[in-house]
Amino acid sequence: MAKSPHKAALRAHAFRGFLMAWWLPVLAVVAWYVLSDSSTSFYFPPLSKILAVLWRDLTDGPLLGYMFVSLSNMAVGLALAILIGVGTGLYIGDHAKVRQAAMPMLNFLRSVPPAAIVPIVIIALGIGAAPKIFIIAFTCLWPILLNTIDGVRGMPEELSDTARAFRIPRGLTYRRVLLMASLPQIMAGIRVAIAVALVLMVISEFFGASAGLGFYINENKQRFAMVETWAGTILIGVLGYVLSAVFLQIERVTLRWYFREAGAQTG
Amino acid sequence: MDGSNVTTSLAQPMQVNGLSKSYGPVKVIEKLDMHVDPGDFVCIVGPSGAGKTTLLRCLSGLMPATSGEVRVGGKVLTEPLAEIGVVFQDYRGSLMPWMRTLDNVAFPLQGRGVPKAEREERARKCLADVGLENAAHQYPWELSGGMQQRVAIARALAYDAHILLMDEPFGSLDAQTKMGLEDLVLDLRRRLKISVIVVTHDIDEAVYLADRVVVLSGKPSTIVDTVDVDLGPERDQIRTKSDPKFFEYRNRVMDHIMR
Repeated sequence: MAKSPHKAALRAHAFRGFLMAWWLPVLAVVAWYVLSDSSTSFYFPPLSKILAVLWRDLTDGPLLGYMFVSLSNMAVGLALAILIGVGTGLYIGDHAKVRQAAMPMLNFLRSVPPAAIVPIVIIALGIGAAPKIFIIAFTCLWPILLNTIDGVRGMPEELSDTARAFRIPRGLTYRRVLLMASLPQIMAGIRVAIAVALVLMVISEFFGASAGLGFYINENKQRFAMVETWAGTILIGVLGYVLSAVFLQIERVTLRWYFREAGAQTG
Repeated sequence: MDGSNVTTSLAQPMQVNGLSKSYGPVKVIEKLDMHVDPGDFVCIVGPSGAGKTTLLRCLSGLMPATSGEVRVGGKVLTEPLAEIGVVFQDYRGSLMPWMRTLDNVAFPLQGRGVPKAEREERARKCLADVGLENAAHQYPWELSGGMQQRVAIARALAYDAHILLMDEPFGSLDAQTKMGLEDLVLDLRRRLKISVIVVTHDIDEAVYLADRVVVLSGKPSTIVDTVDVDLGPERDQIRTKSDPKFFEYRNRVMDHIMR
């Protein structure tokens, strides 16, 4: 009996949350649309025109194909970074001596600004997808790797004692204990990596590229096609937003136990 | 003492010979000798900071001794054995929060390559042994502290351990839950014919549970007394704890600890 009013209250609460989160962005877009409508500035074309060009190039132009090229570079680069970062991170985190030896070097490599390596990598790996994937993977590796190491180190000692006391084999311990215990940190690392990957995805296509969203922006900029440049920029912004929203959902599902455990202990 | 344990218990005897442990120059345990016969219930008590947890880690094979040895069934202990099931002090840290209760209990069996159906069946049986048959699909953090510690006990049982090694197992539980778990462990010992070793700072608990109480001194820990507790195999929270003999044992142990 008391259940359905409770549900209704929950729904009302969720709706209020939705409004709170969205009124400002919606207002900003509407304001932009209205205020820019009569703009004659070369650099700030009307939003209506930008959106029209965006739609045109997506449906009848190269943009959809470019998006696919860019996103697949990013996906492959990110996947490599996750695979290598989590794998070596678990190992390094689990071995104090390896960690001592490796940390200074890791901290150096991590602090190389990613954009600085773009020219070298392109010279070394040429044009095409390989250098772009490499740059994305290289940059995404650090937040994931370092977070994984931290995750393993922050694991309660009782858990590793438990695994040892019950003679759990190494492989199984890595998979079901170390990996899971550091998963919250790993996911945080991946979240950072996605944001970085998006930046590098664009920058890497400014040089030696013949396709991709970065190429589209850069090429139109050089042709002084401001409307197209704006269209590409907006598309990348939306893409970034969608990617992080999707990842947030993935995080919620895979770390359900983690969030609920935290809730159970405080509440 | 209850001599019938020796003949019916499946457990291997444990023998500790001249066990010493130091961390660098700091001696924590000094030349400790003790034995646990099959089916024995032994409590190790000592003042806080006496290195009880260190001792338990040595007895479980998690930590090597500096000198001396632990023998289980005649063999020198060099690593954790399937014979020994450990229940840690901090149940919150020793159960995997990403595994449901059933999976937590079955996990050590997965490590041993037991097929899924079989290990789940065994886990279910052991959860029933500790009275948690209905909690199989809950996560540890959905359970109370006492229930979580029951899960940890079920895990040690599922592992087929015949020696149950417990580190301050009931320290952080409320009095009532604690009594329930004490009686559960006594009952498990009787039904499953296992040996139990409990490390605790709680003197009443030690006397109530044990066939033998081993009293440790402060650091470095040595054995200052071994008390054979002749309160019979059946213990009762009210009757046993009001038995004049109970007070006698308790005072004898307390006398060592408070000194």
